[in-house]
Parts: sequence; structure tokens; C-alpha cells
Amino acid sequence: MINSTNHHPDENMLIEFSAGTLETAASICVSAHLHFCSSCRAKLLRLDQVGSQMMSEAEPIEVADNAFDSLMEKIDTSGIEPVKSTPNVDLPFSVNKLMNTSLISKNWKRLSSSVDVARFKTGQEKFEVALHKICAGGKTPKHGHEGVEYTVVLKGSFSDEDAVYREGDFLVRNPGDVHQPMGAQNGECICLSALSAPIKLTNPLGFLMKPWLRINPM
Amino acid sequence: MMTSTINTANSTANNNRVTVNRVTTLKSSEKRSDQWSQLLISVGENRDRKAFAQLFKHFGPLLKGFAHASRNEGWFPGLGDDLVQEVMIKVWNKAAGYNAEKASATTWIYTVARNCRIDMLRRKSNTQHLPLENEDFWHEPDEETPISLLQQKRSEDKVQASLAQLPKEQDQILRKVYLEGKSHAEASAELGLPLGTVKSRVRLALQKMQIIVSKEAQE
Repeated sequence: MINSTNHHPDENMLIEFSAGTLETAASICVSAHLHFCSSCRAKLLRLDQVGSQMMSEAEPIEVADNAFDSLMEKIDTSGIEPVKSTPNVDLPFSVNKLMNTSLISKNWKRLSSSVDVARFKTGQEKFEVALHKICAGGKTPKHGHEGVEYTVVLKGSFSDEDAVYREGDFLVRNPGDVHQPMGAQNGECICLSALSAPIKLTNPLGFLMKPWLRINPM
Repeated sequence: MMTSTINTANSTANNNRVTVNRVTTLKSSEKRSDQWSQLLISVGENRDRKAFAQLFKHFGPLLKGFAHASRNEGWFPGLGDDLVQEVMIKVWNKAAGYNAEKASATTWIYTVARNCRIDMLRRKSNTQHLPLENEDFWHEPDEETPISLLQQKRSEDKVQASLAQLPKEQDQILRKVYLEGKSHAEASAELGLPLGTVKSRVRLALQKMQIIVSKEAQE
């Protein structure tokens, strides 16, 4: 698996991910990044070892004498076949599952001349989770953020005033950040994003881009 | 590819790759190094009920203890027994996919338990349908560099030793995060500390344990 990512989630996000306390929308983005980034996977393993040691040090509590027998009975009568894992090499598992189960619409929706969106229903109310597609060389409107936004590049690349972002790169936009992403010339770019508050257009003609102003946490 | 309709992206996404099970050829020195991983391999390869019973005997009470350590919203008295059952069923069903070169049995079972615990609590406190559970964030990519059981055992022994030497307040914050299942924001509210302090204290503890590398040391 490739590992050319330059932009990673910060350590506290990985720690919360490892402890299972990171909120759903952020977890989706971190898990998408981990799909591409072997160095963060190695970090996560070390953090999981801490969690595992913690669990080993939890005060053990006796289970009932018949607990094992009733467990085996349940296993034998459930008819559930053991699963062999079948990793998906193209897309992060969580994104793949969302695409199969939770797309609001099966088609891309046009946001602007160069950006399409596909929104997910993720059962939480704080963030809108969506895929954005920027066409090759496409310019997005210059905009500012009122809330936090996590973005992971799933395919292709895009750039803004600061850097070029490639497959697997993880970005955080904080309230107050203003930027103008641009799709790479050589092909479309698809990003996963979780957005917590409407973004504000700084372009005076911004009112034409109304869909940008709506977020729909679902 | 991902072009006009989103659906088409799934056709390439379903090119599943078969994982190769390399655990059958463990060196004898490694076989002695971690009995739990050996037992788990046995369950995965041979549906070995005796090995599974031994794992249950060891991990059952720990899992129940882990459930009771939770201080999360949605906690209920039966969580312990429910968690033991749900985790061990998953262990039985997923053992065939366990790869000892990626993680020890204890760490692997921890990740199953962590995901189960949070998912059970969320199901309890949230009536809305959640299309994704914590379990879905856990994935098993193919690593280029396998880690031997012996190496893992050594690094886990180090974790155990360095955890025991942490100053009290660093130990306390890690327990809040990992055992009680508190987010940084919740820990900050409970301890009456600014969020930034909680974040840096957690990082400091893990730097001290040499789990993460301090920024200063990197430069």
C-alpha cells in the first residue's frame, strides 16, 4: 500500500481514535487516512498496545460458571459462519461501507461549475459527511470556515495557497481559515470531508454558490 | 472509476484481495513467547475449542472488568456480561483473519473490545440508526513489514514497565482516556482543566512511555 502522505491527523486525534472516544465524523476521516498511511498505522498499533495494557490492568471481574457453555451454545446455534477478512485495496473500508449503505442520492449533485457533492447519512448531528469531486483544473470559490472541517484526499490531488494535497493526505480547517482549493490539471480529485458549520464565501459573487452555504448533518 | 454516478466506483472497490495466512510457520522461539497469540492462531486455524476455552478463561474476567471501568453515557449493569459474550463471539468468528505478525492476541482483542464497548453504549443511548459503528473504522491492511511475536512481546513488556513508572497525574489521565472511555473534552470538564492541558498531559505521558516521539526530539 502506498505511503506518500505528508499531512496527518495530530497525535491527540490518533490517541482518541485508539481509545475509541473520537467522534464519529472525525473517526471516518481518520480511518480513511489510515488506509493510505502506514506510518500512522504503526503509531496506532503502539497506542493500541497502551490500551491493551490498560485493559489487562482493569480489575478482573468473575464471569458466571456457565458463561462459557452458554456462549458455545449460542455460537453453535447461531449458524454464523466464521469470516475471513477481505480487505478492499481501493477505498477505505468505512468509506466503502458508507457508499454502499448511506448515500443520500446515487448521483453527484452539482455545487458549482467545478465541484460536485455526494452527501452521506451518518446518524450523527454535528457534521455533514460528504464526498466532493473537483474537476481537473477546477477552481472552487474562495471561502472561509466557521466551524472545523476534516478532509481526506481519496483520489487525485488538489492544491491551495499553502500546499499540494495528494491521496491519503489529512487536512483540518479551523474556524477562521480562508482558502481556495484548486483541482490538479491532470485529473479529477475526490475528497472525503466532514464539515461542522456552514462555510462563508468571500467572493462578492458568492451568493450564486448558495449550495455551499448549506450543511446538512445527517 | 468514480465518474458520473457514484455507484460505478464500487465495481473497482470490490476487487477484494485474498490475505495470505503466514502464521503457520512460526519459529519455535516465538511459539513460547506469547501463549495467547498461539491459542488464538489455533482457534483461527482449527476451530480449537480447548484453546478458545483457555482464551475465555483469561480474557472473560478482563473484558468484564474493562466494561465496568467505563464511565460513559449509556452504561448499564449488564454491560459486563454482554460485552464478554459479544467480544468472544467476534473473536471466535474473526480468528481466521487474525494475523500474529500484525498484532499480539491481547492487542487484537483489545481493539475488538474497545469497538464493541463503544458501539454497545452508543446503541443504548442513541435511538437513531447508525450506519457506521466503531468496528467499521478498524481495518487490517497488508503491512510490508511483519512484526514477529517476539518483537511484539518485547514492546508490550516495555509498555507495561513504563506505564508502571508514570507520575500519578499522567497515569490518571491515561486511565480516564483508555479505561473510562472519556474524550479529551470530557476529561477536561471532569478534571476542571483546560482542554489544551489535557491534550498536552496525554501526549506527555505517551512521550514518557516512548509511545510517541516528542516534537522537540524530532527537530
